[in-house]
Amino acid sequence: MSLLILKNIFRIYQIGDIEVRALNGVDVDVERNEYVSIMGPSGSGKSTLMNIIGCLDTPTKGGYELDGMVIHQEVKDGTGIASDDQLAVIRNQKIGFIFQTFNLLPRMTALHNVELPLIYGGVPRAERLERAQAALEQVQLADRMHHKPNELSGGQRQRVAVARALVNNPSIILADEPTGNLDSKTSHDIMDLIDNLHKEGNTIILVTHEHDIAERANRVIHMLDGKIHEDNKKK
Amino acid sequence: MFNQLYESIVIGFKAVFQNKGRALLTMLGIIIGILSVSLMGTAINGIDNVFNQTLGMFGDDVLYVQQFPWFMGNADWWEFRNRPQIREEYSEKIAERASSISYASLETSRRVTLSYKENNSEGVDLGGRGWQSAYIDAAKIESGRYFTQLEDQSASRVILIGSEVNKILFPNVEDPCGMSIKVNGLKFRVIGVFAEQGKIFGMFSIDNMAVIPFQTLKSVFGRSRWITIPLKIREGVDKEYALEEVRSITRGLRGLRPLDKDNFAINQQEAMEDELGKIKTSISAVGIGIAALSLLVGGIGIMNIMFVSVKERTKEIGIRKALGAKRWVILIQFLFEAIIIALIGGLIGLGLTSLLVGVVNKFFVASMSIGLVFTALGVSIGVGIVSGIVPASQASRLDPIEAMRFE
Ligand SMILES: Nc1ncnc2c1ncn2[C@@H]1O[C@H](COP(=O)(O)OP(=O)(O)O)[C@@H](O)[C@H]1O
Ligand SMILES: [Mg+2]
Repeated sequence: MSLLILKNIFRIYQIGDIEVRALNGVDVDVERNEYVSIMGPSGSGKSTLMNIIGCLDTPTKGGYELDGMVIHQEVKDGTGIASDDQLAVIRNQKIGFIFQTFNLLPRMTALHNVELPLIYGGVPRAERLERAQAALEQVQLADRMHHKPNELSGGQRQRVAVARALVNNPSIILADEPTGNLDSKTSHDIMDLIDNLHKEGNTIILVTHEHDIAERANRVIHMLDGKIHEDNKKK
Repeated sequence: MFNQLYESIVIGFKAVFQNKGRALLTMLGIIIGILSVSLMGTAINGIDNVFNQTLGMFGDDVLYVQQFPWFMGNADWWEFRNRPQIREEYSEKIAERASSISYASLETSRRVTLSYKENNSEGVDLGGRGWQSAYIDAAKIESGRYFTQLEDQSASRVILIGSEVNKILFPNVEDPCGMSIKVNGLKFRVIGVFAEQGKIFGMFSIDNMAVIPFQTLKSVFGRSRWITIPLKIREGVDKEYALEEVRSITRGLRGLRPLDKDNFAINQQEAMEDELGKIKTSISAVGIGIAALSLLVGGIGIMNIMFVSVKERTKEIGIRKALGAKRWVILIQFLFEAIIIALIGGLIGLGLTSLLVGVVNKFFVASMSIGLVFTALGVSIGVGIVSGIVPASQASRLDPIEAMRFE
């Protein structure tokens, strides 16, 4: 059974008289433990797709099922069935995000940043600390636990973000240009971490501009003008 | 639930302390508001204290037949002025005729200078009282005794002194009873000292007084134009009944016909209570007015600063929501920030009040009650909630994608 199913997804922005079709009828199925990379020119709808998969955004039209749960029903007007707070719970329980700009909270230590999803998931304090520390160890940052983001390098910040994305054992890890702000050496370190997450059984969707990075995945989707242009699965 | 609540409170606290200066400025309105509420409360408490002190002077079950009422209001002063005097013999006659009265006495007073050796006490309020006042007066005697019926009737030169007078005349004497002092140069024997009653508004001390028998005062200083007749209501008798009885007897003594208006007044402690009630009401009105205005200004200030805070933290809100923070978590975070600002403002206001009360207390016994403290804190929290709710709910509704993009 597929982990996620997107059926005929539209995301349309109405700006005055102009209609921007960020997604213009997208159908995708992703299996458990797949490693998918998404490529495509800027403005082709990659981030919009990731946001819908990550339950940060609601499609204008189309159906979305994640982990057997209907999140948006494919009815004629595409009204989402999940409320704001329900989407928050799904993000908290099932999604791990890694962003291009890290999106760490600047006034908090690495440890506290990694703890956040667990705090919102209502995990008791002792277990929370243990899991957050384990996640930081997994990204080889145990020794920087009590540093704040501005005391860390870009690569280290992204490692914190990776730890934060995996700490809640999500069903799927979404990385939107995770190496976009990193030099090539650190990019490869981060990608090695992500490869490892895949080997450990995680499902990963990755947006990237770079072919060598995209090639790490088993499946490369090319987007163009809000549509899927190519979808190549490796054997 | 608890974890998230705790997290929200901690963030609220941190937010306030990261912007101490700004928060303090915002608190000003709340500080002034709480200051005026609690000063008002304290002033009213002080008035109640004054009232309780006066209870010590005027008994609860005593009526005072006098030429004028204690509080004249807008009444015609000339009408009062032309009233005939209260006469000494009324006392005896009322005592004889009124079944509701157990004792009737006489009171008058004048300013005198008391001296003992080289110690002088000037401007002392010297009361001349009938011997029956021993049974009517609420003032307690600390040492010695009241004068007797015989001492009154024989116009003996005996005197009771107030505690303030005692301190001035006899700074080094343990018990002045039996010593001789001079009243405007005439020799009197001290037979008693009144217990201390305290000051009213720090301005005059009700302890700066002395009492001699009525007949003595009359024989030494001559007849007095102003006589008060204190009447003790017999135990178990209804006050209204006593009042009516005394009124009709006094009307008879005055020779008034049925349709004539009273040309005398029967005063009682309740009149005092009513008058103090009016003062309390006007203090409350002013205090509440100032408080409401400054709390309004303070509340608007907090709301404004909270909008700024939400704006500054837009990206943070987006990240938190992306990671699974529900609306209420964000709402509480900002609501707490507002409440904390208001509450700290309230605490500062209370602190300033207690400082001021400490200074004022040198003249005037007043204190902040626990109830007042809780009211002030409750009001602060209320202002925090009211002014924080709109920015907080705005924050809680932010779209996570838009918010995360905000720089
Ligand atoms: N909030 C928005 N309002 C209007 N247009 C938007 C908004 N977000 C994205 N778009 C438009 O949707 C299209 C796809 O954007 P995006 O998914 O960010 O592209 P990509 O990530 O592939 O560069 C672009 O044309 C972009 O301008
Ligand atoms: Mg993008």
